[in-house]
Amino acid sequence: MTNAPARRFRLGGLRLTAADGETLVDALARRGLPRVVRSVRYHRPRAPFCGTGDCAGCLVRLNGRPNVRACRHPIEEGDRIEGSNGWPSAAVDLLGAVDVLFPHGIDTLRGFRRPAFATRLYHRVIRRLAGYSAAPDGAAAAGLRAPARELTADVVVVGGGVAGSAAAARLAAAGRSTVVVDRRFAPAAVAGANSIPAAQVTFLPPPAAGRDVPFELLGFAEPAQGLRLRSRAVVVATGGYDASLLFGGNDRPGVMAAELALRLAADGRRPPFAHPVIVGGGSRAGALLERLGRSVVAVVAPGEIAPEVAARASALEVPLYPRSLVLEAAGRRRVHTLRLRGRGDGPAFSISCDAVLLAHRRLPVVQLFFQAGAAMAWRGDPGAYYPHLSADGATTVPGLFAAGTVAGADGPAAAESGLRAAEAVLAGAPPGPAPSAPPPPADAGPLEGYYRELLREPRHGKWIACPCEDVLADEVETAHARGYQGIEVIKRYTALGTGVCQGRYCLPDALLLLAILEGRPPPAVGYITQRPPVVPTPLGALASLPPATAPEVVA
Amino acid sequence: MTFARDRYRTVIVGAGIVGLFTAHHLARAGAGPILVVDRGFLSSGSSGRNGGGVRQQWETRSTVRLARESVVAYRRFGREYGYNIWFRQGGYLFLADTEAEMARLRTVHDLVRSEGLDSRLVAPDAIGRWLDGIAPGTVAGGSYLATDGTLYPFPALWGLYEADRALGVEVALGVDVTGIGVDDGRVRRVTTASGTVATESVVNAAGGWSAELSARAGLVAPNTATRHEILATEPMKPFLDPMVVRVRDGLYFSQTMRGELVGGITVPHPPGTARGMPTSPRFLTEMARAMVGLLPRLGALNVMRAWSGFYDDTPDGLPVIGADPRLPGFFHANGFGGHGFMLAPAATRRVAAAVLDSPVDLDPAEFSLGRFLAPGATPRAERLQLG
Repeated sequence: MTNAPARRFRLGGLRLTAADGETLVDALARRGLPRVVRSVRYHRPRAPFCGTGDCAGCLVRLNGRPNVRACRHPIEEGDRIEGSNGWPSAAVDLLGAVDVLFPHGIDTLRGFRRPAFATRLYHRVIRRLAGYSAAPDGAAAAGLRAPARELTADVVVVGGGVAGSAAAARLAAAGRSTVVVDRRFAPAAVAGANSIPAAQVTFLPPPAAGRDVPFELLGFAEPAQGLRLRSRAVVVATGGYDASLLFGGNDRPGVMAAELALRLAADGRRPPFAHPVIVGGGSRAGALLERLGRSVVAVVAPGEIAPEVAARASALEVPLYPRSLVLEAAGRRRVHTLRLRGRGDGPAFSISCDAVLLAHRRLPVVQLFFQAGAAMAWRGDPGAYYPHLSADGATTVPGLFAAGTVAGADGPAAAESGLRAAEAVLAGAPPGPAPSAPPPPADAGPLEGYYRELLREPRHGKWIACPCEDVLADEVETAHARGYQGIEVIKRYTALGTGVCQGRYCLPDALLLLAILEGRPPPAVGYITQRPPVVPTPLGALASLPPATAPEVVA
Repeated sequence: MTFARDRYRTVIVGAGIVGLFTAHHLARAGAGPILVVDRGFLSSGSSGRNGGGVRQQWETRSTVRLARESVVAYRRFGREYGYNIWFRQGGYLFLADTEAEMARLRTVHDLVRSEGLDSRLVAPDAIGRWLDGIAPGTVAGGSYLATDGTLYPFPALWGLYEADRALGVEVALGVDVTGIGVDDGRVRRVTTASGTVATESVVNAAGGWSAELSARAGLVAPNTATRHEILATEPMKPFLDPMVVRVRDGLYFSQTMRGELVGGITVPHPPGTARGMPTSPRFLTEMARAMVGLLPRLGALNVMRAWSGFYDDTPDGLPVIGADPRLPGFFHANGFGGHGFMLAPAATRRVAAAVLDSPVDLDPAEFSLGRFLAPGATPRAERLQLG
């Protein structure tokens, strides 16, 4: 703790304080599980899920600005914060009755068509249910206005984690002007490189052929400063994220990604849970176990549990449940029970807990590669696309390189991967060859068998296939049953993947679900076009960028 | 995939709103068997990429009438086709920046009123009623029609797709038409990547790809595909009822039932479909500047995603509807210039009538492809190619 005075802020009618530099989520987490938002259709209570600003679990209205990620906003003195989508408040929301009254969901596709005279009433009601915060007010926009930042460099490194930092340090040491864009507020400095903290590149168009500086990236720095970065080469080291999992009540407050749990329990802080269950059996689960120790009530895994994780759990006397189907997280305002069944018709059982920490699958953040037009390759394990890379980390796009998790290099291999990408940039490595057709038969990965078993189970509670838009797994199945095929059509039919996380948390499981329903491997089901921006970007930031001087070149 | 038959009375190319509606009118008239083919998936073309606006304010009388009839059809859509398209009549608000633009809107206003629609002219200081927080001094006035509105394009496709199939229409998706076979001076066959079928009539409802398809029948068509971009913001609570359209630069946006603002602005792109459907940095920044310039408070709102699609434009801004005078059996239902959804229910009735050789209540001088075949440039008839 610093000696800086606590910052006073208001959340609805509450007067609260935060430590210097503390975000709203961290400040609230000291008092319990933050619940500041209701879901868009059913007004289900929600709590933060990701801790990285990607999910819709902590959207608030901050000083008149809508949909601010509470996990990415350091509290300032006098902040006025309102929760989202609750009436009268997110904490006490009478519209939450919709969730209870319609246990199987409401059908906005085929319902509300009759009688004709009720049309206007239906429109009013459905419009009121939807949306997160109220529209912005003028003062909010005026307060955000900031001069845009335009930089030109030899290399832009997107992501300042282990791999990105290693790449940037090597490039800077070799005398290349290097910009590192990092979404963290206080990343470690990279010697010789120009670091832009609290910033994200959200649009990486294909490079303009024939231009001396072919890359032009758009993005923003928190809260709303426009960024335009031009470079000769780009190294993308955007890392990974913890995937979601489909089960009843998988959106309940207390179900969260490992990333958020690690953050809330960092530096000896007391997290807003006392009896968590860890889902997952790999190194990510091991990291959680290490951090949370004996408070963990169980480690459950869809598949096997790695021997080193099992050994650590035994030492801590934490029970292990490998090869378990997660059926339901029960608890309306907060999860209190996790219901499970052993795979292969094992016995059903329940675990009392106050948090479910998802650490079963870590996926790469690869949207920028899709945007840039790089050839991608499917990997059944973990069930994701990766850029198709040459031996030295070059993508099929000239001047675009990958490092770290997005290059398949995790843990100790990450730094080495960053160095390799830097060497490739320095050597002017050519783009990798396009993948040789046809690709090997696609592998649906280890979770496919898991989901096959799970789908045979009776369902309790809503299975939220897309939390941002409150789309149920049943709706995906209905669309399939009515003859619609392929993820692109299912997306448009159900609205799955069209919310603020842009499909990050729903697409991986939806692909598996559809692969099973349609009887073909995930790549044949398709993939949602990764549309820019990667992360929702303030209009004010984009508007502040002066018109580009170079003529538009269409790739 | 293969086809259920080797002979169809009519083959419709394009399973967008125009193709599916045309098939529906034909099937209801008992004019089967009908095959609809599309190279993509359902909603992959412009019918799945538009902003959902439906307006009746136009510069040409015939277009006002087609649009007015379409509005009636969309009001009934949910009860007839089983899907709720959430057609919300929140109005269309056109904005003029200059007196000259205002004069244009007055002409539109007079025409629209003469067709019995309650269009209203709006003084600059009254615009804030719809557009709370508008930057002062940005507009010279506007026009407003309360019965215009917005709808969800996707469920319209699902509803028609299912209704068509229930009437026996065969819809083949992911099938590319590679040729139109002509013998003895009329259409006889359609060749696709999945095989050849015999037919008497082909309807070109290929949207942005209509000129390409005409060429496969050996016909030159004046249509050009132009890429237009569009974006959606994050959802928020309702605050904007009408679709807002600015005459000067084609800026338009409306708020959907889910709370997102969806809209675009005209940014020049080279014509043709060959370059695909990417998003440009120029669009994102120009659109952001235009939105924030008009309504500064939108600066605090996040844009969630952007995409693009094709307008199927004609030289005079009017669609091409009816028989091609050069090739018996070849019919046009294209050239809607980004307004296929607005006009489809009414326009496709005329397409179906043409295929059935029934009387068509449209002036061929306005809508037949023949109007482009006479020597001399075609004057621009409908210039309100916005929103």
